[in-house]
Parts: sequence; C-alpha cells; structure tokens
Amino acid sequence: MANIQGVTNILIASVGGQGGLTLSRVLAIAAILDGYSVRTGESLGMAQRFGSVVSYVRVGRTVYAPTFSEGEADYVIGMELIETLRNIRYLREGGTLIVNDEIKPPISSSLGLAKAVSKDEAIKALSNIPGNVVIVPAKRLAGAAGNVRASNMVLLGVLNSLSKLLTDTSIERAIKSLLPGRKGETSLKAYLIAKEWALKGT
Amino acid sequence: MSLNPLKEPEGVRLALMGNEAIARGVVEAGVYVATGYPGTPSSEVLMTIQEFGADLDIYAEWAVNERVAFEIALGSAIGGARALATMKAPGVNVASDPILSAAYSGIDGGLMILVADDPGPHTTQTEQDSRWFARLSKLPMITPSNPQEAKDFTVIAYDMSEELGLPVIMRTTTRVNHTVGDVVLGGLRELRRFKGFARDPPRFVRAGMKWNLERHRWLNRQLARVEGIAGKYGLNSSEGEGSLCIVCEGVTYNYVIESLERLGARKGVKVVKVGLLHPIPREFIASELSGCAKVLVVEELDPYLEESVKKVLYDEGINVKIYGKDEGVLPLEGELNTGLVIRAVSTLLGLKASPIIRREDEDRVPPRPPPLCPSCPHRNSYLAILFGISRAGFRRAEVPIFGDIGCYALSVNPPLNAIWTEHSMGASISMAVGLKLSGYDKPVVATIGDSTFFHSGIQPLIEAVHKRVDILVVILDNSVVAMTGHQSTPGWNKTETGRLTKPVRIEDVVRGAGVDNVVVIDPYDVDAMIKEVARLIKTPGVNVIIARHPCALLEARIKGVSRRFTVIGDKCTSCMACVRVTGCPALYVSDDGKVRIMAEDCLGCGLCAKYCPYEAIVEVGGGLG
Repeated sequence: MANIQGVTNILIASVGGQGGLTLSRVLAIAAILDGYSVRTGESLGMAQRFGSVVSYVRVGRTVYAPTFSEGEADYVIGMELIETLRNIRYLREGGTLIVNDEIKPPISSSLGLAKAVSKDEAIKALSNIPGNVVIVPAKRLAGAAGNVRASNMVLLGVLNSLSKLLTDTSIERAIKSLLPGRKGETSLKAYLIAKEWALKGT
Repeated sequence: MSLNPLKEPEGVRLALMGNEAIARGVVEAGVYVATGYPGTPSSEVLMTIQEFGADLDIYAEWAVNERVAFEIALGSAIGGARALATMKAPGVNVASDPILSAAYSGIDGGLMILVADDPGPHTTQTEQDSRWFARLSKLPMITPSNPQEAKDFTVIAYDMSEELGLPVIMRTTTRVNHTVGDVVLGGLRELRRFKGFARDPPRFVRAGMKWNLERHRWLNRQLARVEGIAGKYGLNSSEGEGSLCIVCEGVTYNYVIESLERLGARKGVKVVKVGLLHPIPREFIASELSGCAKVLVVEELDPYLEESVKKVLYDEGINVKIYGKDEGVLPLEGELNTGLVIRAVSTLLGLKASPIIRREDEDRVPPRPPPLCPSCPHRNSYLAILFGISRAGFRRAEVPIFGDIGCYALSVNPPLNAIWTEHSMGASISMAVGLKLSGYDKPVVATIGDSTFFHSGIQPLIEAVHKRVDILVVILDNSVVAMTGHQSTPGWNKTETGRLTKPVRIEDVVRGAGVDNVVVIDPYDVDAMIKEVARLIKTPGVNVIIARHPCALLEARIKGVSRRFTVIGDKCTSCMACVRVTGCPALYVSDDGKVRIMAEDCLGCGLCAKYCPYEAIVEVGGGLG
C-alpha cells in the first residue's frame, strides 16, 4: 500500500477547527506505539480557525521529510468536501480518498466572490478521480457515537479498516492519551462504529 | 495513561512536536527561567512547559514583548541560572538591542534564544532569514533538522553556552517546530537557579569605551573556540562519499536524503549536514568538501550557507564549483520540499527530473482564507468604526484605518475590507501619527489589540499625546493573545502556571499617558460604539476607545454557548444582508439560495439577526432576534 520506500503518505484536508490536527496526532502517536517512525507537517495557530488546513502524515520504517508533493498521497482524508476538492491533487493514481460527505461553503462563495460549489457537484467531481473513493456519512456516524464533532475519528476508523496501517490497540491508546475522559471514550466509540461501517460497506 | 512529555523517564520514545521536544530539552537541561513572547511557530515551547510542568518549579511565563523576555533571560543568566527566551523571527528584531550588548557582557548560566523562522511563509509578515542575525550579533547559532535533534540540540545549546560564556541562538523553521516525530527522551538534570552575581563593570556596563573594545576582543576570542566546542557535540556530520557533495542544514537535510533515495543516488553523493550555523565550521567544511568535484548547497530562503561555504573554500584555496541560490538551482523564496530538491539534485547529476504533476482542481475551488471567527468581537468593532466614519459625515475612502498584528488583521478581507495597513507590532499608532504629521487633514483611526498594545503600542501612544496629534485609537481588547493560541496578557490576574499577578489595566495606562478622552465599551453593543466612534473621530486630541469583549472562542470554551439562532426559510429573501455585513463563517448559502446557519459553528452573538432586514434570523427558543 505504501508507495515510496515503505512510507505511507496521508494527507488530511479540513476546515480549521474540525479536528484535523487531532486526527493527525492520533495517527502519529499510534504509529510510534506500533514501532514505526513518523513525521507530520501541520499548520497551527488560532488564526487558522475556519480557514483551509492541511496536515501531512507520513508513517514508515524510516521517515525523513515532514511533507510530500502532489500526486504522492496514498490516502487523502477529506473532512469537508470543498477542502477535499482543493487538495485532491495530492492523491496518487490508485490511491484512496476517504471523504466526509459534509460541505461547509466558504464565505467567499456566499459573498459571490467565487463560484459556489454545491454538495452534489463536489461529490460528482470527487467520484471521477483516478483512485478509490469512499464517501462517509461521518457526521451521522459520529452522532451515533455521541458527538457529531467526532467525525475525525470516524474517518480514522474507515482509514484503518481499509489500510490496516495500525493496530487497534495502539489507536485506542493514542486516543486515550490525547483525549482523556469522556471525549476519549466518545472518540473511541466513533472509531469503532466507523470500522464496522467500513466492513459492511466495502 | 496520559503521557507527560516533560516527566517520562530517559529512554522512552514519544511522538512529539518539535516545540514539545524543545520544551523537553529545556527541562532536561535544568532551565529555571523560561520566558518569551507568543509567536507562531514558536509558541508551543513555553505552552508545553506551562501545561505539563506546572509542578516542576520552573518559571515559565510570557513576557510583555521579546525584548523584555530576552532581558529577563539575560538577567537570570548573569546570575548563573539557566534561562530561555523564545520568539518568532520578527521578535528577534524587537529583542536585537539587548542581544547585541549581551554578546559583549556574556553570561554565566546557560542562555538559549529560540528564534523560529517561517519559510513559506505560513504565518509571518516576512520570510526573514534570522541566520544573518547570528553574524550581526556575533553569537553562536545552531539548527536542528527534526524533533529529536530539536531536543538534543537544546541540551547542547546550554552546555555550549556555559562553556563559552555566551548566549546561544537556536534557529528553527516551521517544519521543525510544527512537525511531530519520534523522539527518544534523555535524562533530566537538576534545575539551575541563581548562583551568584558579582559587580564587574567592564563586563556589565557598556558605558566604558575601553571596556567595550576589550569585550569585543573577548567576544572574537570566544567565537574562535566555538567550532572546537561544537565538534565535541557532533553538531555537524557527513555521510556517504562521492564527487557531488550536498551541503544542507535544518529541515532541508530530510529533503536531501529522500531525494537521493528516490533517485537511487545515495551511494554516489556525499551529504554534509551543518548544525553549527555560526561561526561557520571552517575546518569541518574545508575538510569535508576538499575532495568534491561539485558542491550543491540546499537551504531555505537566503544563500547564507552558500556564501559561507564559498568564503571558506576561497580562503582555503579549494577550487570547486558551488551551486545553490546564486546559480538559480534553488528558489530564494518560499519553503523547499523533496520535489524541489529532487529537481536540483537531478540537474547536477545530469538526470532527467520527472515533471511536477499539477492538476487544475485547485483553481475552480472557492478560496477559504481564515476569516474572523463566528461571534468575534473584532467584527463588531470594525463595523462600528466603518459605520461611525459614515455617521460622522466622512467617506470610508478618506479615513485610513491603520491595523496592527493580531487576529483583527483578518478584517482586511471582504466583506469588512477594513484595515489599510498591517506592518509590525505597534506600528498602527505611530504610522497614523506620521500620516497626520505629514499634512493629512482628514481623521485617522489606529486599531490595535490588547496584547499588541502592551507589547509595542504604549510608546507610540505617548508620542501621539506629546506631539498633539488628532487621532482615534481603538484598542481591541479581547483579553487574550488570541491569534497564537490564547496566551495570557499583562491584563490577567494570574499566569498560566497559576501564579497570582497584578493585572495591568489598559485604561490606567492610557490615562496615565495623558490621552484626552477614554471610553470603555463592549463592541457587542454595536450601536453604542458607532455613536462613540462618530463623536470621537471629530473631537480634537488623542482619543481612545477600549473595545472590550473576550475572544469569542475563549468565552464559548469557558461559559458555553447560551444563544442559538436559526433562519426561517419562508422569511429569508436571499438578500444576503447578513452575509455582506458580517462575513460570518457560520453562515452559508444553501442550494435553494437561502442563508443557513451551521449550528455547530455558531457561537450565538446574534449580529446576523440584528442586520437581517426581514427578521428571518431568530433566536431558537427565544423571541425575535
């Protein structure tokens, strides 16, 4: 599944505040627990809230660079349709897109400064890419776990169900170490519900 | 099972962000006084010590600005304590005056200055290359290439600093500060507190010109020792052999190694990694490069290393062609990546580089620059300023609004289109004063955040008062350093580590400076603020409005969201007034052309409801908005 020197490249595209950073961090912690080397590249800072945010996650035996180029992601995780469309060029041919079916139209299109893209248009465009596409009702599944904000963990569940990149034990430990208390429990539940969903659906 | 990166024992392997790794290094080195001013990408170093080291008895608190932070660190280190000052690149400019003098006095306890540069740039006003600052200040500078080195080099910086008696600058870049990687922890050392401070005017008083000349000689002697000392710690290294030699530093080392692996060229190329940036390790470079046929220098931003290498090789009489920025093999702007380095290496190896694949998807996707958050009080303040200007009988185009550094700079974007300038910390007031003094006869407005005002806005305000300049200053007081992740300001009554402090009140400072009129107002009452703006913009003198409302994100986190709004579809006429006035990211236009509110993003300020002409936006469970 990995394309370059045994390194798996994952790109997470999200809107600032959706939990893309948390997702990237859970992957990094779990990868270390599983004995891999890891690098992530992040955009941080409060002023990223509600703006386009991209996280690079790279897992493998030995990883050097924190980023990768367009056409090199084995997986793109899209937390929102517009941001996924913006970054889909990172997916390599034959790679897999795991995308939340949620749309958050940016203010630029509401103001008429840029052409709006509807949910249907976005899904249609993404369905035509030269790779595998898994569209996930992440908000619904997260809601079933108890918190709609756990969409990031839903996408993690689908990712790991398809990729078998990391062990469940490590992901569970990573979630619990990063999100102590009830938040962690809900997150773990969302992860497990999503794994089950992915097994049934694919 | 939550892991504490500052307390886990030696040998444990954790996933740490570069800045967390530096924080661990700071604790491993026994640093007792850690300070700085928040600035992306440097902030998490101090934040990590504050969050995970509250009971370690380390002083870990923000200073009012970088200059004060450095002077506090210096004052600690001349007494033998180990100290830290963190800042982003522009911060080192603010701190430059005391840093240059500190090179002459030297220190007794280790002192590390962390300067985080931002090639890209991702979140910084310039792509400043702070490596030049090492040459200017004549201080040793080192740079790590990944989170593990970020931790290890931090400990080395302190040992080097004490051995040399000089502050050591650690220069990082975003892709080290904000990269998470595997880090093996080292052992923790005892905290290094105050030991002793003896009066020694030739060292610590810069008023004696003979002393200054003598200390300059001392400084140069110390610099001559640096390469030898750095050699002990393995800051510089090389791997492989070949006629092509690649010199690199910091994060670029990773791009070089990946490029060579992907080109299958690792065997025929020598990689020389420079961890000591200043003074340049002359002997190391000369001996490593003496057998090379070609040299490629891979670095981000300016050709700092390239120039240094060229000078060393010229001095040593080594005649070899050097490629880098000057030769156009790599760009002078923006950050590097593996793709760019592959192209450069391919060029030198005579290989055909695969073209960069680019799909056009990006162009047809609506842009999403970071907006002001839902319920952000700055939105209300700028609306009040803009409406107040009109209310006072002026056109928007004739009243410049000077901006400053902070979230509120996002008001430059549509629909507010508010600020005209954003330059450097505190510049809003001084530049507005300058425009007036040059003969501008219409009103000017300066807008500045609370933390930025404390940082660098007070002196400009004094200047305005003293020079009798007519100006309206709006201090946007959201009671927190919001943009960099909610750090404390001098307005807080306790610090992040729980130490009780005395809050400094902005209104007291402003009144103390002698301004003519001061008004404190909650910008959530937009109409009241419009009235005050309209009144004060026409009142001669230096007038200050303190627009005070907590950062909406922080307020929601502390108090929760108490009000919910929704759009009544039948009443919405798609007039877009709400969107055009507020530009709130919680509003969107749905497929039917009507406006909707994203419930999970709305923080309930109700501004959209206020400006809906058709009362289509209403409070859920309440009456009309």
